[in-house]
Amino acid sequence: MRVTRSYRADALDMNSAMTPMIDVVFLLLIFFVWTISFQAIERLLPSNVSREAGKLESNLEDLDPEVDFERIVVRLTGDAASPQYRVNEQVFGSAAEVRAFLQTIVAIKPDAPVVIHPDDQIEIGPVVGLLDISRQCGFSKVSFAAKPPSAR
Amino acid sequence: MVAMPAQNRDRSLGFNMTPMIDVVFLLIIFFLISSHLTRQEQQVKLALPIAKTGAHPTQLTNPRLIINLLADGRVVIQDEDVTQAMIGQRIGASLERLDAKERENFEVRIRCARQTPYEFVQPILTGCVQQGIWNVTFAVYSPEEAPAS
Repeated sequence: MRVTRSYRADALDMNSAMTPMIDVVFLLLIFFVWTISFQAIERLLPSNVSREAGKLESNLEDLDPEVDFERIVVRLTGDAASPQYRVNEQVFGSAAEVRAFLQTIVAIKPDAPVVIHPDDQIEIGPVVGLLDISRQCGFSKVSFAAKPPSAR
Repeated sequence: MVAMPAQNRDRSLGFNMTPMIDVVFLLIIFFLISSHLTRQEQQVKLALPIAKTGAHPTQLTNPRLIINLLADGRVVIQDEDVTQAMIGQRIGASLERLDAKERENFEVRIRCARQTPYEFVQPILTGCVQQGIWNVTFAVYSPEEAPAS
């Protein structure tokens, strides 16, 4: 009989000890479920809009399409989602070709400024893609071309 | 006087950590949820461009203005629809509230859908330049973390 009583007491003790444990376990569960964010994490891509020049490149029409890479102007024209690329007037069909070309240039002149000059209708996806490619290649001065407000 | 059993005495003296952990966790969860909801309020759901060299934000305390740009050209700043012409004005208004040092670190973050034509992004860049802001960043997804659209 004594043995049975002690067994009962143990069972009761265990039951009461389980409640706060389950409590804490559930809280931990909620905590981890919440912290595993369901939203994709956003990253930041710095664009250095005008740090170098103090203004956006606005006189691109006068640029000489020379090939000494004093300044690399990448134009995006044509189709909005998959544009045609022109690096200093040299035509490229895809971003991969531009990447290969920029990698060649960076080996010769790594400090050359890159100016991205998209047409109005070009989607920002390929434009940011080009900024990304320039950064991957190692160019640090990448800026955007924009028409002055009066010209728009 | 009846002596208390030794077992009972031990129990009454023991400090129970469980309710304290319970409360602390509840507080953590409360603050997590409230901060998350505040952040979510400012974020318009957009299919951001994808870039490999995007970095995690490091300067979290810098003053910033988040400009949401939808694919149809609509601009949303702080949960408010703003016309293209008013972007420069809004940036200027944000700058007015800051001192010289804060202005130096002021960041404009552009959150735009990847289908947005460049003609809608251009006024934002021009507006930043006119206000003397060089710290302009694009919010992007890394290729691995981009949500399926």
